[in-house]
Formats: sequence, C-alpha cells, structure tokens
Amino acid sequence: MADLRHHLTLYVRLLGAQIRSQGAHRTSFILDALGSLLITAAEFAALALVLPRFGGLGGWTLGEICLLYGLAELAFVLMDILFGGFDAPNLSAHVRSGSFSTFLLRPAPLTLQVFASDFALRRLPRVLLAAAIAAYGLTHAPLAAGLETAALLTAAVLGMICFFGGLFVIGGTLTFWTVDSVEAMNVLTYGGRTLISYPMDIYSAWLRRTFTYLIPAAFLSYLPALHLLGRPLPDGLPGWAALIGPLAGPLVLAAAFAFWRVGVRHYQGTGT
Amino acid sequence: MTTMPAPPTGGHVSRLSRLALPLAVARLGFQRQFAYPQAALWGLITNSFFGLLRVAVLLALFGTRPQVAGYTPQDAITYTGLTQAFIMAFSLFGWFDFMRVVHRGEVTADLLRPASLLGFWAAQDAGRALGQLVLRGLPMLLIFQMVWGLNWPPGPLAWAQVTLSVLLAWACGFLFRFLVNCAAFWSPDAVGFGRFAWAVLGLGCGFLMPLAFFPDGVRAVLAWTPFPAMLNTTVELWVGVTTGPAAWAALGTQLAWTVALLLACRVTLRAGLRRLEVAGG
Repeated sequence: MADLRHHLTLYVRLLGAQIRSQGAHRTSFILDALGSLLITAAEFAALALVLPRFGGLGGWTLGEICLLYGLAELAFVLMDILFGGFDAPNLSAHVRSGSFSTFLLRPAPLTLQVFASDFALRRLPRVLLAAAIAAYGLTHAPLAAGLETAALLTAAVLGMICFFGGLFVIGGTLTFWTVDSVEAMNVLTYGGRTLISYPMDIYSAWLRRTFTYLIPAAFLSYLPALHLLGRPLPDGLPGWAALIGPLAGPLVLAAAFAFWRVGVRHYQGTGT
Repeated sequence: MTTMPAPPTGGHVSRLSRLALPLAVARLGFQRQFAYPQAALWGLITNSFFGLLRVAVLLALFGTRPQVAGYTPQDAITYTGLTQAFIMAFSLFGWFDFMRVVHRGEVTADLLRPASLLGFWAAQDAGRALGQLVLRGLPMLLIFQMVWGLNWPPGPLAWAQVTLSVLLAWACGFLFRFLVNCAAFWSPDAVGFGRFAWAVLGLGCGFLMPLAFFPDGVRAVLAWTPFPAMLNTTVELWVGVTTGPAAWAALGTQLAWTVALLLACRVTLRAGLRRLEVAGG
C-alpha cells in the first residue's frame, strides 16, 4: 500500500514537471491546443453540417450519433493523455535515441516513467469538446435517466480507455523489435476510434463482425448504446452481451501489459 | 545575404537551360518518394481502411435516396476514392518542409541557388506530388475501382478539364501551404499556426465531406475562400456535378486563386526574407 502511494506521488511529480515545461512557451502551447481542438471540431462539424440535408444516418438521429461519437472521442482523448508515452512514434523515438535505456537506469519503475513521459496537456481543450458532444448526445437521445444508464456509460468510457490504451501499449512494445510495421497499429487505434464513432450497423456484415468477434470493439460502446436506446442487439446477441462489453477493455489492457513485460525482457538497447 | 552568384552564361541563358534546373529538382523530388516503399504500402492500407469507413458513412447518409445535391451514391464513392487518392499528392494533412528550413536557417543554402526560391520549392513539390500520385494515388483509385467501381470523366473534353483542374488544385494548394509556412519568418511557434491552417483546409476544401452537401450559407462563405479550388472543384468536374459553362467558370476561379496566392506568396516571401536573420555556426 505504501509502495502504491509512493508510486502515485512519483507519477504526480513527473507530470508536474511535464506540465511546467509545456507552460514555458505560452503562445506555442495555445496555438497547438487550438490546432488539435480544431481538427476534431472540423471533423465533427463536417458530419453535423450535412446531417440536416439527409435527416439522419441509417436511422440514427444527430443526438444518437453524438452519443456514440462523443463517448468514443472523449475516451480516446483521455486515453491519449494517459497512455501517450506508449504511442509507437513516441516510444520508438525514445528507443532509437537511447533515452529508453536511461529509463532503465533510474531508481523508479519503468512503466511509470513511460506513463509520465508524454503527458500532452494541449489535448485538454479536445476533452472539453468531446465532453460537449457527448453531453449533447445524452440530452438529445431517448435515454432513460437513472443509475443503470450512468453506470453503463461510465463503464463504457473506462472500458474504451483501457481498450485503446492496450492497443497503444502493444504498438509501443512492437517498437522493441521493429519500427516499420508499427504503422499497422494505426489502423486499429485511430481507425478503430473512427469505426466506433458511428453506428456499426452502417458497415457491411463482415466488417462489423470482424470488429465484434475478432477485435471486440463493438462491445465497447455500440452494444451498450443499443441497449440503453432500447434497440435489439445484432446477430441475435442476448441482452446481457451489452453489459459484459466494458470488460473487453480491461482484458485487452491486461494482455497488452503481459506482452509489454515480454518486450522489456527482450529489449537490448540500440547501442546509442 | 549579399552575395548572389552570376548567371552561368552571362545574359545568354537559353530557355532550355533555364528549364533544366527546375526539371532536375522536380525529378529528384519525384524519385525521393520511392525511397521507402514499405511506408508507402502501410500508408495505402491505412488510407484504404479509412476509405472503407467513409464510404459506409456516405452510403448510410444516402439511404434509399437516388441523388442528393447532384451526387448519386456512385458519385459519392468516386468522391471518396478521389479524395483518398489525393491526400498525399496535395499534402492535405499538412506540410511543414519550408517552415523547418527557415527555422533551422538552412534557407540560406536555398538562397545561394541560381533560381528563385519560390520556383525552386514549387519544382520540388511538383515532383513530390507527382511521385505520391503515382505511388499512392493511382493504386488507391485502382483499389476503389476493383471494390466499388468508380465513375470516370465521360469524354476527352471532361478529361482535359479534370487534368487542368488537378494541376490548378495542386498549384493553389502548394501556394497556400507555402504561404502558411512563411509564418516561420515571423514566429518560432509557426507549427501551431500551421496545424490550425490544415484543420481549416480539411473542412474548407471538401476533404471531410463534399461541399455540395453543406447548408447554403456555409457554401456561400466558402465560395469566397481559396479552399474549394484546392480539391472540391476537381472532384465536382470529375463526377460531372459541374459541367458546360460552369466548368470553365470553375477552372477560371481556380486560376484566379492561383494568381492571387502567387502574388501573396511573393509579397510575403520578400517581406520575410528582409526580416531573416540567420545565426552563424
């Protein structure tokens, strides 16, 4: 217990140092924050601007889509802030420059240092925007207000953070062996986020099934959202399948960290 | 910068040798794109996956409607294939090359060359764009053709107009990117400014959604910006949303924006170079 508290203090200290350094160049920080906010804003605006002309997306209203889109974006940005150190471009830069080797020399847990190595504060405005989109969805979709709804939505967001965090950890671990094929992970991370931002019944059956049964992305928010909206689940899945969804994330994260430990044992440095 | 090298053959520079340098620069820019074939392959896979998702969203929007704002569902698929194919050639996700050169002070090496700075970078980017079009654009169109089938320009006139429009879209886009990169002369924080500009470009040029689907007010505002000339015009000519006299008017608008951006670039570049101070070392 004391160990955990010590690690937590250490993590907060490391984040504090990161935040101070990012605050040093104020204009640069504000422009970067606005730029990253605008990317999400433009993408969402493009969808919101065309919806009135079409009336909806495959039978889903703007409010219902905002629920899916906002939750996915919120979870992904929070995950990015938390797990940014494991993102393949970041970690492979540390591996190539040799600074990853110095992590191993320091008297602090390696994983903790990686966690704190890229805490990009400039993503905070994006969190607010994502939360606003999700809030619009919550108020404009026919959801039953109640403890069950709140619990399932919270679990869905936490599950998505774990799921995408796990993918980041796997992608980062792969950089110990190769830097080339890591781009394949982008299909799963950024592609996966985009995929689950829309109602998954718009995809062809094979694509939807791949991202339901092979890669359990549909369990993260699509099935819980269907359940809360009182819609039937696809492929005749039983109703409780929507509730086990949030467990998929922690399972992926646990597997990812098991892989990470194998990677760290294998790591030999680049000689720099 | 005070020293400028004398022209190679004192006043009698033939037209051919004046073209030789930009052509050589363009050829190098072209060849450089083929250095990392594996990265190109993964990029193609990623773009195809996003193309797949974008097609699904557009087809779901159409539902059972046969046509919306001049686009049929098949046109919407063609739109997606074209925009995915042009991402790299038109650098739609951003371009910081000139900015980097200014920030590092390497721009002085560019200034020593017996060619205009803007012309040198235009030649380099033209080669780069053509390389990306061959390496990433054409395979992307081939994939779309095989999976969904594309609509193609109907005849020689349409092909000529589309080709002209692609060239103008590249020119317009390059000049806009160059202008944004010129911010580096004034600010060490130009990268953030650039990210801002690319986000606006993505929405305004019709990369995220066909501009024809936007509400009239938004389209009216965008019509006063150069962004549609950088992609949307080309797509509308290709799928046949713009035809007849309107097609020539659209090409004229692209040309007008190219000229306006060229002038803006030259003025900005001159002012920027006057400010330039390069640290020694």
